[in-house]
Amino acid sequence: MFTLGSVLDNELKSSVEDFSFETEFSTNQLMLPNIEKPFEFAQSIISLEKDLDENDNQPMFHQQKKEERKERALIKGSKGTTTLAFIYEKGTVVAVDSRATSGQYIASQSVQKVVPVNQYMLGTLAGGAADCQFFLGHLGRICNLYELRNNEKISVAAASKLLNNILYSYRNYGLSVGSMICGYDTRGPQLYYIDSDGSRLKNSLFSVGSGSPFAYGVLDAGYRWDLSKEDAIDLGRRAICAATFKDSYSGGTVKVYHIDENGWVKISDDDASELWYRYEEKEKKNK
Amino acid sequence: MDSLVGFVGKNYVIMAGDTNAGRSIMRLKDDFDKLVPIDSHKILAKSGEIGDGNQFCNLIIRNVSLYRIRNETELTTKSVAHYTRRQLATAIRKNPYSVNLLLGGYDKKDQKGSLYYLDYLGSSKKINYGAQGYAALFVGSILDRFWKEDLDFEDGLELMKKCLREVEKRLIIGTRCFLIKMINSDGISVVEKVMINSEKKNEIEEEN
Repeated sequence: MFTLGSVLDNELKSSVEDFSFETEFSTNQLMLPNIEKPFEFAQSIISLEKDLDENDNQPMFHQQKKEERKERALIKGSKGTTTLAFIYEKGTVVAVDSRATSGQYIASQSVQKVVPVNQYMLGTLAGGAADCQFFLGHLGRICNLYELRNNEKISVAAASKLLNNILYSYRNYGLSVGSMICGYDTRGPQLYYIDSDGSRLKNSLFSVGSGSPFAYGVLDAGYRWDLSKEDAIDLGRRAICAATFKDSYSGGTVKVYHIDENGWVKISDDDASELWYRYEEKEKKNK
Repeated sequence: MDSLVGFVGKNYVIMAGDTNAGRSIMRLKDDFDKLVPIDSHKILAKSGEIGDGNQFCNLIIRNVSLYRIRNETELTTKSVAHYTRRQLATAIRKNPYSVNLLLGGYDKKDQKGSLYYLDYLGSSKKINYGAQGYAALFVGSILDRFWKEDLDFEDGLELMKKCLREVEKRLIIGTRCFLIKMINSDGISVVEKVMINSEKKNEIEEEN
């Protein structure tokens, strides 16, 4: 398989020796396996969940290839997790679960799904853990270099665009990344959704992962721009809690972070199952 | 799942696109602008994959700007359509862009608007009216029936709303909100962001 690690070395080396903007952020330096038609090889052995659905827009020869791919797939990517983030008047709230599954087996209940990019930006992890961790870590390196070179903090828009361009250049190689770049910069609280397909969307709230429909339900019902800080944090926590309750691929602990002009802070880390019953008791007491 | 509609009127081109951006069954963003301005008098309406659309439209916009900077002259809509088609055609057998486009523009030299239909396979056709996505199924016949040469702006807007009403009514995937833009000699202007509610006996609410 191609090694992305050696790509990083190439990029870093060239960025130290050569200060031109192009080499620093050049993305098409992927190492490919030494065979005929490496691109097709990559496509043939990796299948993502979305590829398994019918796609009417593709011509017949693409559809046939997909059938072959389904049978030969050795690596399956799926986004079994729940992460959410939203911006409001006073900052950005990020909430995630911490379960990692491989097939029907829970591999871990204590995965770190939030990766700090720098002191005022967080990236969330959904999809392939290795892909997300690598690229978000790489984004952190690039942002640090940007700050050193330009003597100013990188904006969330620019950071998300850098990641987007990198992921777009690898778009058919079977990566699975569903990440949100959340931060606070001179424009206020910002939130971008970045995908391994190459999409980049800006909005005030997102939820990514298999539990996202459940999280959206609670989130959409309670979201307002002028929430207080406690209410916003509580909303994020409740939404993840609801998703972990309904979705079997989400669980573990519920971690909530808050980002404002002073940077990011971890607010809480609660066991998901306990949290649900704690809320239930609170409701009973209120009645 | 994207719906794009456009047609040419008397000295203007009117285009509309839905404002949904989604992933499988979920709507991620409901104020997504699919009508991207290439320069002051041209719009590229994109549909298909979000990432491909963004990157491809950026490619076209930057290259058109580069041409303008190098040659101190603006490209005509026809030239931009040809250039765009060529980019799509060279990519299709290597690294295809899954975007279907409607390119609308107003040329000051001819004092006329023009509309081009561009496909991800590299097809390109100059049209008077057309649509991309599922909307094309419903809207095609309406435009065949009601479109006339040299429609006034008010009549054109009414026809566009008729088309969008039909899309909202018949398309099972909920697309109530559309953004309508118009290009004329003064440039690109956002006409309306329309929210259509066909339950209210074909009444249309206008949003800011």
